Amino acid sequence: MAAVQETIDQVRLIDVDQYKYGFETVIEVDKAPKGLSEEIIRFISAKKQEPDWMLEWRLDAYRRWLTMEEPTWARVEYPKIDFNDLYYYAAPKSTAGPKSLEEVDPELLKVYEKLGIPLREQEILAGVETPRVAVDAVFDSVSVVTTFKKELQKAGVIFMSISEAIREHPELIKKYLGSVVPTSDNFYATLNAAVFTDGSFVFVPKGVRCPMELSTYFRINEKNTGQFERTLIIAEEGSYVSYLEGCTAPQRDENQLHAAVVELIALDDAEIKYSTVQNWYPGDAQGKGGIYNFVTKRGDCRGARSKISWTQVETGSAITWKYPSCILRGDDSRGEFYSIAVSNGYQQIDSGTKMIHLGKNTSSRIISKGISAGNSNNTYRGQVSINRRASNARNFTNCDSLLIGDQCGAHTVPYIDVKNASAQIEHEATTSKISEDQKFYVMQRGIPEEEAIALIVNGFVKDVIQQLPMEFAVEAQKLIGISLEGSVG
Amino acid sequence: MNMQTTSRLTAAETALVEAFGAQIGELPGNGAVIGTRDRLLDELKKAGLPTRRIEAWHYTDLKNLLRSVPDAALVSAIDPIAPLVEGSKVLSILQGAADAKAAVDGVEIALFKDRLADGSAVAGLTALDKDDAIGRINGSFVRDGYAITVPANAELEAPIELQALHAAGQVHTRFPVSFGAASRATIIERHRSVTEDAAFVSSISDITLEDGADITWIILQTQGAADTHLGQIRVQLGTDAKLRLFVINAGGKLVRQELRIDVVGEGAELTLRGVNLLGAESHTDVTLVLGHNVPNTNSTEIIRNVVFDRANGVFQGMIRVAPDAQKTDAKMSCNTLLLTDDGGFSAKPELEIFADDVVCGHGATVADIESSHLFYLMARGVPENKARAMLVNAFVAEIVEELEEEKLVEALEGVISAWLEKHA
Repeated sequence: MAAVQETIDQVRLIDVDQYKYGFETVIEVDKAPKGLSEEIIRFISAKKQEPDWMLEWRLDAYRRWLTMEEPTWARVEYPKIDFNDLYYYAAPKSTAGPKSLEEVDPELLKVYEKLGIPLREQEILAGVETPRVAVDAVFDSVSVVTTFKKELQKAGVIFMSISEAIREHPELIKKYLGSVVPTSDNFYATLNAAVFTDGSFVFVPKGVRCPMELSTYFRINEKNTGQFERTLIIAEEGSYVSYLEGCTAPQRDENQLHAAVVELIALDDAEIKYSTVQNWYPGDAQGKGGIYNFVTKRGDCRGARSKISWTQVETGSAITWKYPSCILRGDDSRGEFYSIAVSNGYQQIDSGTKMIHLGKNTSSRIISKGISAGNSNNTYRGQVSINRRASNARNFTNCDSLLIGDQCGAHTVPYIDVKNASAQIEHEATTSKISEDQKFYVMQRGIPEEEAIALIVNGFVKDVIQQLPMEFAVEAQKLIGISLEGSVG
Repeated sequence: MNMQTTSRLTAAETALVEAFGAQIGELPGNGAVIGTRDRLLDELKKAGLPTRRIEAWHYTDLKNLLRSVPDAALVSAIDPIAPLVEGSKVLSILQGAADAKAAVDGVEIALFKDRLADGSAVAGLTALDKDDAIGRINGSFVRDGYAITVPANAELEAPIELQALHAAGQVHTRFPVSFGAASRATIIERHRSVTEDAAFVSSISDITLEDGADITWIILQTQGAADTHLGQIRVQLGTDAKLRLFVINAGGKLVRQELRIDVVGEGAELTLRGVNLLGAESHTDVTLVLGHNVPNTNSTEIIRNVVFDRANGVFQGMIRVAPDAQKTDAKMSCNTLLLTDDGGFSAKPELEIFADDVVCGHGATVADIESSHLFYLMARGVPENKARAMLVNAFVAEIVEELEEEKLVEALEGVISAWLEKHA
């Protein structure tokens, strides 16, 4: 169990207020003025050299957004956000797009190195032969470098930044962008539609199994910039793609806003696996600072026998508001949601999923593990809905919460709506603390308390960790260890 | 962006406001009570009936579902019926009016209208929170009921039946009941219609269990197919108190049954069992808000629902464990047999936990009758419809049998069988 040992080492090394990734990179940044208006949107669109229809799309979203109200139903509390006090565009200054890694600002590369991003993918785990990983790194809203593009191209896979895709594949963008999360979907998704600055675009053509894991790292760097990225993944008939997303952000005093939208589309027999490790800055030990993470992620199992699987490890952000969902439209389609949400300090997490069963013989599975420590609040909020015509739908939901300390809260809010008699729905939830028996069992074998707890927590989340690609699984375990530091023992 | 708009009142809201205007002169109450009534109605008018945008009413959009409210006009006299269990002491409330002559040995009984008239009921009239529409409606309109005090150490052999019989029109009743320390009693709160005409009923039972009281409280709602029933039970459980609460809904068109329970004494224990039989075009909502506020308390909740026809069922169950309520053990389960594609069931079992040394869990299932069970019976020569009926019956009878008192179990099984025969 090398990984467990690593977790424990990390826990020893790092305090909750010594955020590991809290360094700041000093590079020149090209910024739009503060605030949000039609001019800013025109500015963003022009910077991105977007066609007119895209600008119209953005403006339409912006006008809708002006009429919308911020949602208040989630169990999170934060001072009102002044949307006019944010920068909506910040890009590293560069004249022409870099052609290769060598051309990229070395400062940037250093940041990635510190984060351990496998840009040069060889030795991700020493001594382990790993599958290749292609990375589309997003640095404050603009995709800087895309590796392995050529190899992917050979397979027919399109993997590029969404801005490039808007220019190069307008027909695909027009057809799919906003088809899963419409511009009018919710307050934050609409805001994103108006101002998104970058993100990834993946298109896997019919029958192609993507030859490598695709990966994106997001980082928020510039002060007071909202990060609004937009990701669109399309898997055509019979194709397969696994996408990894990881996030870290430097330490900041002020809260930063992150409102992303991710849309997945799986056609007949296609499969998309989307994994996230989210480690935005959670704020310091007093609850000051930290990222506001308001994300809309939704997958559409549009084709028959398609499958979408979400796996997430949420350890960061001051506030997380995130519900990766599946619309099971195609007959025999399947949706999965595996989640670990760890909250410590003054973090607030309100996360979960929606499984909307529309087609026949659809099935879904939800496994959610919440761990709350410190003064944090951790809420699972999920919906399973079976449409009247969705015969033989099947759902299994399991959400377990673990409480460490008596100042935190763990909450479960499942919504179950069934309108078809042939459906079979099972939901179970438990909340408990680490039992004294378990701890005693481990400790009487000579393992110190803190390590014992780390071991038990790792066991608690095992079902979800197993769903992650291997290199992510190790990182996830490390993050969980770091997140719980100071709360155990 | 000023989003504040004055929404127009719906027909039902208008009817309530007008009914209040027409009745206010004759509603019992001293100045303080009238003042409270005015305030509650004003709040109701301002907030309107709750919609699905109000989280607590997410699945019961009262504004939309409550199309009309019958006139307040009272109809002719109703006669009491035989009690559910032979030998029970009956306290009848006929069309919302309590019986001045009602008495039960060893128990203090007062008319609620007298409590309104002398103002002593005013504190209890308030709404529990800003979304408490039932509290507002009942507080505005309540006319009568019984205030019951069971003295400490009293052991009541025979059950007390609160027999609320409704014809048409509006009926608003209230039952403040306090059980003294170490008292034992069984109460059957029965709501039943005697005509087919639409009745609009609101009823609140406000019950307190002092230390060590051991009480069985049964709510049996069998109103008519055109009726609206807005029920609420407010419970305070003292130290070592035990409450077995059985809620059976087998009637009504629009039903909301709110169970607001606060466990405030250590060692207290709650057993909640619910059976909801839904047929025709009815909408039945059972909403539980259970607060474990002190250490060392237990609760178990089992709700069984059977849905036929075009009926819609709702169960919302919130268990709240306060920061100091260590060693809470709370388990909730909600099982539904959904036997129709035209109806539906929605469940929202919630946990809200602020203490770490607790064991809390909930489970929810929704499914049709298991085909293997059906096959087992049919392979033994039981025809399908009969086999189905047996399985449905078994599904809910299991819950009622937990009551153990033979006569009571038999009577409730009778109600359930009769309902199933009519609807299945």
